[in-house]
Amino acid sequence: MINFVAFSIRRAWQGFWRNAVMSIAATATMVLMLLLLAGFWVINTGLLAGLEFTEEKVNVVADLYDNVTPRQVEDLTAKVEAMPEVAEVTFVSREDALRRFRDNRRAQNEEDLTRFLDTNPFHQSLEISLVDAKLYSTVYDRLVVEPSVQVVKNQQDLVDRVLTVTNFLRTAGGVILGVIAVIVLFIIVNTIRLAVVARAEEIDIMRLVGASDAFIRWPFVFEGALVGFFGATLALAALAAGAEPLGGFMYDFFRVLPLTFGSLSRDVALLVLGTGVGLGIVGSWVSVRTYLIR
Amino acid sequence: MAVAPLEAPARSFRERLLGRVDERAAAERAVLILNDVTKTYPNGKVALADVDLVIPEGDFVFLVGPSGAGKSTLIKLLIRDELASRGQVVLDGQDLARLSRRQVPRMRRKIGIVFQDFKLLPSKNVYENVAFALEVTGTPGRKIRPAVERVLALVGLTAQRHQLPAQLSGGEQQRTAIARALVHDPRLIIADEPTGNLDPLISWEILQLLLRINELGVTVLMATHNADVVTALRKRVVALEEGHIIRDEVGGTYHRMD
Repeated sequence: MINFVAFSIRRAWQGFWRNAVMSIAATATMVLMLLLLAGFWVINTGLLAGLEFTEEKVNVVADLYDNVTPRQVEDLTAKVEAMPEVAEVTFVSREDALRRFRDNRRAQNEEDLTRFLDTNPFHQSLEISLVDAKLYSTVYDRLVVEPSVQVVKNQQDLVDRVLTVTNFLRTAGGVILGVIAVIVLFIIVNTIRLAVVARAEEIDIMRLVGASDAFIRWPFVFEGALVGFFGATLALAALAAGAEPLGGFMYDFFRVLPLTFGSLSRDVALLVLGTGVGLGIVGSWVSVRTYLIR
Repeated sequence: MAVAPLEAPARSFRERLLGRVDERAAAERAVLILNDVTKTYPNGKVALADVDLVIPEGDFVFLVGPSGAGKSTLIKLLIRDELASRGQVVLDGQDLARLSRRQVPRMRRKIGIVFQDFKLLPSKNVYENVAFALEVTGTPGRKIRPAVERVLALVGLTAQRHQLPAQLSGGEQQRTAIARALVHDPRLIIADEPTGNLDPLISWEILQLLLRINELGVTVLMATHNADVVTALRKRVVALEEGHIIRDEVGGTYHRMD
């Protein structure tokens, strides 16, 4: 068994270098396809992160009556926080609201008109961020009927529009990524197939001298894995070199960088390595199979 | 000339002692038995029809006939590239139709095949081409070198062992192929037009080599168009035409002599 594995690996190594032109062509194709796949993966991940960030902006704002006591606010906050649809509840006092308004005006270089007022015109309120923007109406319905709630700003239309856009982009991203993945699959498997077809005579000789299917198949499978591994390594090296400018582009484009770069690069490394080696193996297996079944 | 009876198989010491050939024992010793074999291809073409053939151990048989007579189909049946539509092909006592897929490679090691176009791997030298047949069948490394050296000496290529096929003459390439066919110690050598690409002088050289191998006890079946060789050697000749055996005679010639 160890002999067999050693034999297969040695033959795979020889096969790779003795058919250098074919092997290099296959590896180059592998590199380009993996870069294509990784590129779209990164863009899609950025898109998803951006969409999530947008959806997080959707929150429910409930204005409370001025005579609601801090005790009652606390009770209501606890009650709302207990709802499974709710991620976080922030209490905004009348003073906080006024300060926020003034800060905003100043930031926009507008004159602060509130200083002409005798009283604070703002109400105390609860700002409720949601687990999922889709749950807006559920939370809205629950808050409207609360006795201490004066009014809940109804943003359902806006929420629906945001969701339509984000869902469309999410689906489009997924579909494009899927199509790219299928293209990459076919091109890689076909390239490996060409490399195997170029050696049909070698396979024929092996069959005629009485090589068992395993002895014919496994060297090619290891060779496919080798092409995949080389291709993936080169693609990852190229990606690592381009990571910094790419990251800058991502930030400029999506305006957010909520994705941690560490987990993204780990995912991409696994994707590229897994796809390369996996397709190398599958491609060889399928290609050799046609020569074995007689 | 009347059709001669089949040449009696070489008799064992025990049989010579007892002076009697048991018919069943003879059948068991036959390397190859074709029993009423018909091969019809999916397109309806009948390539072989009702072929009966027994090749005893140690025989040297020429298989002759025009192109399309069924020689190639017959060889494909022997190496189990194709299965007979009807009848049995029994090689070394085993019915090829009953072999499982896993058993086929083991059976093929009992046959050495030599082709008109040599089928050598261009990137491997003479030694590696021969050793390849052992490597891909899982022969342990320490057994490969002595086996390869032995067959290279037998075909006279020890000096050229490190040369690539492109550096060899046609005759040397065919001798490499014969060495590769021999390296498994086969029961039967099938040579499919082995001299088809070679000039007459080299063809004779290859034939001398096959005869010597036959003298060492290996059964040889050679398909050929080379009338000179067949007629000169007066070996057993099996003639195929349109899928039928039309002649099977010992000491025969390429063409029927009436």
